[in-house]
Amino acid sequence: MKKVFSNQYFLLIIRIIIAMVFIYAGAEKISDPKGFSQSIYNYRILPIETINILAITLPWLELISGILLLFGISVKENAAIIGTLLLVFIIAVALSMIRGLDIDCGCFGKGNMVGWRKIGENSLMLIICVVLMAFDSRIILLNDRKTD
Amino acid sequence: MIKKNLLAIIFSSLTIGFIYNAINPNGIPLIREQRTLEFVQEDTILVPSESLKSETSTVDSTNLVQSSITRPSDQSDNQNKNEQQEFVKPLAIKIGKAYQLYLQGAKFIDARMPEEFAEGHIKGAINIPFDGDESYRDILKTIGKDEIIVTYCNGTECDLSILLGDELFEKGYKRVYIFFGGWNDWLEKGYPISKGEQ
Repeated sequence: MKKVFSNQYFLLIIRIIIAMVFIYAGAEKISDPKGFSQSIYNYRILPIETINILAITLPWLELISGILLLFGISVKENAAIIGTLLLVFIIAVALSMIRGLDIDCGCFGKGNMVGWRKIGENSLMLIICVVLMAFDSRIILLNDRKTD
Repeated sequence: MIKKNLLAIIFSSLTIGFIYNAINPNGIPLIREQRTLEFVQEDTILVPSESLKSETSTVDSTNLVQSSITRPSDQSDNQNKNEQQEFVKPLAIKIGKAYQLYLQGAKFIDARMPEEFAEGHIKGAINIPFDGDESYRDILKTIGKDEIIVTYCNGTECDLSILLGDELFEKGYKRVYIFFGGWNDWLEKGYPISKGEQ
């Protein structure tokens, strides 16, 4: 297993997949801040004062982390950021499922409902982030980093 | 992992986010506004002609003259007020007004999911799930912009009816009512319902 995870080509592929997903998710949310604000509101977890702050900043964190990850800049740091976001998303989706909220997850625009499928997808991506944090991805790096 | 890089990425993302939002014409306010419902005043509900007759027959002749003079002007005042309000934002209504609009032939739109709609809905209502895909919105083409529209969802806790009502209003439907209380209140009163898909 470790041999697979430490394979640089495998790491490169999963890194690009995660990067693309987050670049798309971030860009989509940036294009519709009002819709994303509504999506956060629908979860009924955060106080109303904080919702728009999150709706303004979170998509950019996704987009920039995704771009940096794609180009192999600070892979471990960006994998940590995206991993943390995924963990938060999993908790939010799980909470709304427990509370019986039948809402749009706000993940990639409209039409994605909260549910087990979303938890599964996010968990898979979280595992990828943990692998990237543990093994790094040194192939096609734009920044020449010798020490960690 | 380098903490400095981590913080730099987070900080720069937040900064870019705020700057972009400030210059973006579609930017949102830093604090989200709470959507408050504005209810139709109860006195704007027109008295059905039958009850008007029975009411007036009990009063003496002088009052009758007065009431016949004052009533129409009252009603038109209220109607004018109501119409002016309708151009500002969708108005919320409760079960009484909703049933009255139902009898007047207003279009009822169910904002819930198709499964819930199939289990039971207000008779004659059409289904436009707020979170559903865009294909449902083709149905909107059959509704004129001047028609009276009433959106509803499950009850007082859901806000699909509010979201759909606001969206329809933005799309140019000017006489949009949001039926606060929705399906639960309707069912409780025993008003006409039907089952199955549309």
